[in-house]
Amino acid sequence: MPLSLYYYLSIAAVNILMSWALYVPYRVTQLHFITIANMMISGYLAGYLVLHVHVPFVWALLIGFAVGGIIGYVVSLFIGDAPTFAVVIVGFTFIYITRTVVENLSIVGGTMGMFGLPNIGGNPVAHRWIILGILYGLVVLCGFLIHRFDHSSIGRAASAIFVDKELASSLGIDIKKLGMLVQTFSCTLAGGVGVLYGFIYKSFHLDFFGFALIGVYMTVLFVGGYSTQWGPLLAAPILYGVPLFFPPAVQSWRIVIYGVMLILVLVLKPEGFITRKSVYSIGLALSRKRGKVIRS
Amino acid sequence: MLLVLMTVSFGFGQTNVVVSEWRVPFLNSLTGSIAAIGEFLQWGANYAADEINAAGGIAGKPVKVVPVDTALDPQKGSVEMARVVKDSLVAMGPVPEPVIMAAMPIAVENQMVSITATTSYEYASQFFPWTVSWFPPTLDRLPPLVVAWAKQFGDMKQVVQFIEPYGPWPGMADAHSKALKSLNIKEQKAIEVPSDAVTFGPLVVRALDQKPDGVILVCNAEKAAKIIKELKSRGWSKMNHILVFSSADDAQLYSTGGMDLNGVQVYNYLNLDISNPRWDKFKVEFAKAHNGNMPFSLSPNYYDALYMIKEAIEKTGVTGDPKKLKEERKKIADYIANVKGFKGLLFDWDMKDGVPTNKPTYIFEIQNGKKQLVQEVR
Repeated sequence: MPLSLYYYLSIAAVNILMSWALYVPYRVTQLHFITIANMMISGYLAGYLVLHVHVPFVWALLIGFAVGGIIGYVVSLFIGDAPTFAVVIVGFTFIYITRTVVENLSIVGGTMGMFGLPNIGGNPVAHRWIILGILYGLVVLCGFLIHRFDHSSIGRAASAIFVDKELASSLGIDIKKLGMLVQTFSCTLAGGVGVLYGFIYKSFHLDFFGFALIGVYMTVLFVGGYSTQWGPLLAAPILYGVPLFFPPAVQSWRIVIYGVMLILVLVLKPEGFITRKSVYSIGLALSRKRGKVIRS
Repeated sequence: MLLVLMTVSFGFGQTNVVVSEWRVPFLNSLTGSIAAIGEFLQWGANYAADEINAAGGIAGKPVKVVPVDTALDPQKGSVEMARVVKDSLVAMGPVPEPVIMAAMPIAVENQMVSITATTSYEYASQFFPWTVSWFPPTLDRLPPLVVAWAKQFGDMKQVVQFIEPYGPWPGMADAHSKALKSLNIKEQKAIEVPSDAVTFGPLVVRALDQKPDGVILVCNAEKAAKIIKELKSRGWSKMNHILVFSSADDAQLYSTGGMDLNGVQVYNYLNLDISNPRWDKFKVEFAKAHNGNMPFSLSPNYYDALYMIKEAIEKTGVTGDPKKLKEERKKIADYIANVKGFKGLLFDWDMKDGVPTNKPTYIFEIQNGKKQLVQEVR
């Protein structure tokens, strides 16, 4: 596999998963940016465990997921039913705190970063296939789980909360419990993805987890469409991939093109490109076609 | 006899080279928050290419520096490096540290040299032998500078450092501490400058409470200038007892600090007062292209890097033949790691195992927006 294709595919998968980590809490109106801090915490922890304690990668990855989940759960005890902006502020605060802690922790490289993470599987080729396998395995698994969630009674409860919290509450929906569930899920996911993110680059640097990532994932979520899981799934590879194929002369206009695209989407299609209606229409068309095939 | 030798050597170079043009990708941050720095790094590399081509190219073939924008984004940097390593003989960059960390492992894995000429030894050395360091180890090069600065003033007994936690900067502050310790100068509690700081009054008050005799600033240019202004507004008068580290010596220091910088000392590798035909011409052309500004810190780095690549290709007989890619990449790596008497834009220097051994550094005093040489430190 060409090396550039590997990096494209692996980072696209990271962006899909992390956009889903934002998508799920946003189903109950929460923009949960603490996920970026989770990536950082679990990533650095796993890097340290593998490099210095010689823990096998698989265990480090599982610990990364677990640590992400534990942090998400503990925080959700306090902000499970908090309004959007409170959750945003908690997220930003966590990113600041985590950055400061990492900056001052020389055992994980401090401001310099962490170098020389080993190849999983012993050689670069095996490393790449393992990373891709895990990432796309996760995309399939999480895609399935989120699909089940969206089509379950819990998903419908989340939709009710999105429309009107008080109405949802009057229908007997436990807003806090549902908030805790989605926050814990997204933090667990972010923890594991943070580990994989660092192992793609075989290094960790604080600026891998900067505020720019929030911009990337928000763009994916809102351009792709925040009302279904398919929006981030399609938008992440396209938004990340398209600028890579711009000719050099256009490269410096990349940010302008992004900006114009965002404005156009927000004005013309505020729900993003993929909406529930479009998913429903496509589903209907496909089932009719399938019906015709069966009848014939 | 001489004519025969010249003909043979010229003909040898001509027939060996299989490329019609040498293409050297330069992974640079041309957009994003450090685009201004990326621009003048790129300008230096392009200027070198023009100069080389005007003088006959590399081994008789023209060279083209191909700008590759990484936009200060590790995600983009890694994909771009993955493309570059596919068939490039050698590359320059990436810039800066987060992109270096994401992209350089790809160059290392594919055994291709990419010269990271703006980062510290501590980063570059992680990727030896597939890059070289443009600077000696921080703990070797900085203490003599701080010693030379402090020794000018007999009254310097206590010094405080302002430190911004970014990349190699805390490590540079540690090197300053080592120098102060060697002079038995008491180092007071360092003042951390947050990366997102906008007001500096409280930080300066905390520093002045410790009654320091000297101040070392290890933060970006704009912050350094604002701290100096705050110090002055709170009665600090011994301006030459303030030392600004090299990474803060760029345009924003002067535009923000203005006349309040008068007397402040700064250390750097770049000495505008040196005069030689190449450097003098570079300064004139740089000023023409940059609204009359003199070259900023790091401006000549990729100019020199391209010349180093030229020398490596010519001296090792690299042909650019894609079939010999691996072998020729290795030749370039081996050559530049131990190049001797390299004729840089400002001075000649040697490399030993990828580390420069005899680059001079300078301490300047700022007066009316201009730097005046105080002393050279080797």
